[in-house]
Amino acid sequence: MIRFENVTKVYEQNARPALDSVSLEINRGEFTFLVGASGSGKSTFLRLILKEDKASSGSVYVAGQNVANISSWRVPKLRRGIGVVFQDFRLLPQKNVFANVAFAMQVIGKSRSIIRETVPEVLKTVGLEGKERRMPHELSGGEQQRVAIARAVVNRPGILLADEPTGNLDPITSMGIMGVLDKINQNGTTVVMATHDDDIVNEMRRRVVELKNGKVIRDEAKALYTSMIPVVGESRRLRDASGEELNRAQGAQL
Amino acid sequence: MRLLFILGEIGGGLRRNLSMVISVVLVTFVSLTFVGAAGMLQMQINQMKGYWYDKVQVAVFLCNDGSTAVGCASGSATKEQQDNLQAMLESPAIKPYINDFQFESQAEAYTHFKEQFSNSPIVDSVSEDQLPASFRINMKNPEKYEIISETFSSQPGVETVSDQRQVLERIFSWMNGASVAAIGVAAVMIFCAVLLITTTIRLSAFSRRRETGIMRLVGASKTVIQLPFILEGVIAAVVGALLASVTLWLMAHFWLNGDLSRQFLNTPFISSTQVLVIAPVLIALGAGLAGISSLLTLRRYLKV
Repeated sequence: MIRFENVTKVYEQNARPALDSVSLEINRGEFTFLVGASGSGKSTFLRLILKEDKASSGSVYVAGQNVANISSWRVPKLRRGIGVVFQDFRLLPQKNVFANVAFAMQVIGKSRSIIRETVPEVLKTVGLEGKERRMPHELSGGEQQRVAIARAVVNRPGILLADEPTGNLDPITSMGIMGVLDKINQNGTTVVMATHDDDIVNEMRRRVVELKNGKVIRDEAKALYTSMIPVVGESRRLRDASGEELNRAQGAQL
Repeated sequence: MRLLFILGEIGGGLRRNLSMVISVVLVTFVSLTFVGAAGMLQMQINQMKGYWYDKVQVAVFLCNDGSTAVGCASGSATKEQQDNLQAMLESPAIKPYINDFQFESQAEAYTHFKEQFSNSPIVDSVSEDQLPASFRINMKNPEKYEIISETFSSQPGVETVSDQRQVLERIFSWMNGASVAAIGVAAVMIFCAVLLITTTIRLSAFSRRRETGIMRLVGASKTVIQLPFILEGVIAAVVGALLASVTLWLMAHFWLNGDLSRQFLNTPFISSTQVLVIAPVLIALGAGLAGISSLLTLRRYLKV
């Protein structure tokens, strides 16, 4: 679903690259955590998928398409296939819950009857039944994030990118949000989530990709937030948490 | 659905930026009024040229008692001098250049003068013998005025030869100057209008950056994102252009065809319907300027 081939992204000449020849494949329907310190390249990774930025070298494939070959007027079409959720929710404060979600459908020209049918369905999925008429400021942080998730998935994208969606939420609310993201993932959506939240990662036991200084230093299935395998340089093998060896090679070795 | 959505966005944008929108309306209104006024002046000049050039005459004024010209040393023009001039006009040397001529005696000149200035107190202070008698000559080709002037100005009994066309040319060049000045003012005002539209669109884009950011992320097309902003500028400018058109029409209707045409009875003024020809030009100009400046602003300040 998402494939990075030797992708390097340099924002400023002479500065350390934000991403340094990253090669990675995320399959359809997978749930992947992207972990790493601030500045490790997580956000750049997500921006490249959205074609918000252009890779300095290497290629990014989304749904089988090299995003470098997508002309600027077709970028909206690419983005319709990708939902995005942020740490700061980014709701429209003067619109109620229903209107916030409906907005994502209106701007791509969905008919009013389809909107009226789909929005309540999606709100039910994220657990906000009966709160259609609330304004964002009347909602808790967790509820606001649910609205944001509903908006991100209302057009049924194949991919959901979440940039620290639980960064502003307490642990219990965060687990609720993870439940929603998991449910969306169960319905077949590929989820990529950048996070600092070790509890969540440890709880979920999904694939973990760790970035450091723009390089992939770990890629484990069913993993924990911190590596259980000591890093032994280039030749180390990748294992998942159960100790099984993975055939998924590290980027530099591809 | 999308159309309704775009219209809603435009409405919201106009309401949120009301004071800026009003200033755009006013600046385009003033600038386009000047553009239109320049256009009206040109129309007026053409109208007057067409009307007057058929009627203008070359006048050979004869000496009267008060004349101070060199040819008038012997006082008022005599009957022989007058007959001599008439014979010259009918001679083969001059005749081919003129259509016809009339003699206007002092009495006739006084009558015409009274008609022309009937509203003015000047009539009371002028007596018949102060006005010169004249030959009024209609030229076949008004450009050949020099021939008459050279032949007659040195003749005894002739005070001066005047070409009415030259008087008109002075008026026209004055009107041309005025229309150039109007265009100059319009250019400055249009420049202001463009800057103001640019600023307004920038503010509008900034105040709606959340919406546009979300629109981008959910894959709204460039048109859906940008059109509301562009139309906002265009609508404001078109309202300004409409106001300018109405103002020009009112000017033509109540001033040119009202007051002025009563004061200057034999001057042909452009009609208010003729002014309506300018309106579409102004509207197109306003819409075009606003559209282009909004588009260029958005290209810089609204990433899609």
